[in-house]
Amino acid sequence: MRPVLFALLLALPLAARAQDIQWHGFLDLRIVDAAAQRSWIAGGTGKLRYGGGGTQGRFGGAALIGTAQLTPALLAYADVQFRNDDGASLELIEAYLRYRPVSLTPWRWSLKAGAFFPPVSLENDAIGWTSPWTLTPSAINSWVGEELRSTGTEFLVERRGAHSSIEARLAAFVGNDPAGEILAARGWSLGDASYGFGGQVREPDVYALEEGVVPPLRYRPFVELDQRLGWYADLTWRSQRHGRYSVMYYDNRADPTERSTYDGHTTFAWRTKFWGLGAQRRLGPIEIIAQAMTGSTLFTPSPSYTGETRFHAGYVLAGWARGEWRPALRLDLFSLRQIPPSEVPLSEHGNAITAALSWRPRPWLRVTGEVVRMESWRRQRILENAVAGRTDTQVQLGARLLF
Amino acid sequence: MIRSGPFRRNARCFAGALAAALLLATRLLCAAELFVEISDQDGGPVEDAVVSLTALDGRPALPDPPPSTTKSIDQRNEVFVPFLEIFRPGDRLVFQNNDSTRHHVYSFSEVKSFEFVLAKGESSTPILLDRPGVIAIGCNIHDSMIAYVFVSDAPWVGRSDRRGSVHFDKLPAGTYTIALWHPWQTPGEEGAAQHITIDAAVTSVRAAFSLSLLPDPRQPRDRERSIY
Repeated sequence: MRPVLFALLLALPLAARAQDIQWHGFLDLRIVDAAAQRSWIAGGTGKLRYGGGGTQGRFGGAALIGTAQLTPALLAYADVQFRNDDGASLELIEAYLRYRPVSLTPWRWSLKAGAFFPPVSLENDAIGWTSPWTLTPSAINSWVGEELRSTGTEFLVERRGAHSSIEARLAAFVGNDPAGEILAARGWSLGDASYGFGGQVREPDVYALEEGVVPPLRYRPFVELDQRLGWYADLTWRSQRHGRYSVMYYDNRADPTERSTYDGHTTFAWRTKFWGLGAQRRLGPIEIIAQAMTGSTLFTPSPSYTGETRFHAGYVLAGWARGEWRPALRLDLFSLRQIPPSEVPLSEHGNAITAALSWRPRPWLRVTGEVVRMESWRRQRILENAVAGRTDTQVQLGARLLF
Repeated sequence: MIRSGPFRRNARCFAGALAAALLLATRLLCAAELFVEISDQDGGPVEDAVVSLTALDGRPALPDPPPSTTKSIDQRNEVFVPFLEIFRPGDRLVFQNNDSTRHHVYSFSEVKSFEFVLAKGESSTPILLDRPGVIAIGCNIHDSMIAYVFVSDAPWVGRSDRRGSVHFDKLPAGTYTIALWHPWQTPGEEGAAQHITIDAAVTSVRAAFSLSLLPDPRQPRDRERSIY
């Protein structure tokens, strides 16, 4: 994180002279009818953001996004968010500089340096890396929000045509060695609590006890443990006629034997790699978004044991893209398999149906009603004296004030 | 008799010139108006289509070419206004930034390439548009900003309004080729140019066309959407 802060400090004199500094953000308030099972954020094995039952008002979060066009080619971007799910937390979600000189040919390149999301999500293109369609993102993008952040440099080259373009990205990064741990310890989840620098992800209490740690067990997901560069590459084709299609590969190249101890807990490096596929297409007034991900994460806590988790997930979302009312329906499928299985296997599978209706009566207001119904099967729950298979429902009515 | 030969020749010339003038006058006096109606594949009106008319047989009297002019494209609320503008070869284009933020206007079109960094309140130097063709325009700071310039050397050219209609008046009788262009026209489905004959006996002609359009990539400015 230090290089990011250093680069931003260097940019401050330019920012002082920048003509174009903009501040945007949101404040999110909700009434939530929570799922019965305790949420993983509170140390449970529930897979939704809100658990423990009951209906009450919740603070969904607040975001402040600053942009400064330092020169015509140089942009500074920073996103800070506040949540109070697991204690009050102010976190830096993204901060980067982007240099993109104008090009008078169909080719254009840009360079991004700082801390940023890898280009996985096709649904979270709204302010503060949120989804304009639902309150709760898909399982894939929930995980990206929790554990994936790249601190490094991304090079992008694009070829622009009259009705289509093709983009290729290549990035080298550090500071994401624990990525994958939450998938192994908790499995997939659906929630819009994106973590940032300064935040700590909590693992289920039953997992901590299995590891011989007194809960709560938390870790920082965006740290460097082995001084090895990770990388990702992405190829995206955008066509005005056919939509957007992308394929990406991610490998944090973490040394699975590395670990670090702070606050009395040990954080392991997890070697995480995955393939991601994405498609987005407009059919008249209906927007279709689909993503799939398959990969693995492994760690070697001792010379005699390597634990691997193979994970797979996908979703299809259909949303009405015209007018003040924006209904959306999404189907998520997810699974993961632990190899070799532990005494209480951490493998799982499940699905979720999310139905949301958003209303934009004013440019500064978005009102969203959402129902998430999730079926999941995970044997880890028997450690909580619960059954492995569950069906959970979470209902939310949220107001998001945009500025 | 001595004078009869030249007189007859002069008379024949005069009669010929008179006939030609009368024919021209008749054509002009019989000038008709043409309404071109353009709809999309769903039957909705198509705005910002360019309709070009050229004389198929060259016989209709051509209008005098308009004098070269300078037109501007503004930037307001991170939108180019107008979205599409028609120019003649020899015209000049100026960009005016009437926005509250800086823009980096550019084009890499084959017809004309340029770039201007415009602070708020600034205008570009005039760009001479010397060749016919299409110029796509963007902003390197705000990718969502798009505009098009259509440089046409057709004798008659017009842009469809919100009702999908283009009106031409004072068209002399004759046969014309009607060509359509729209920025979102589906490649490969442009369709053949159509011909229309305006008879001296009619005063008003209507022609209807259907265009297959790609989805409009422009999105209205929204606080919720990512801005970069």
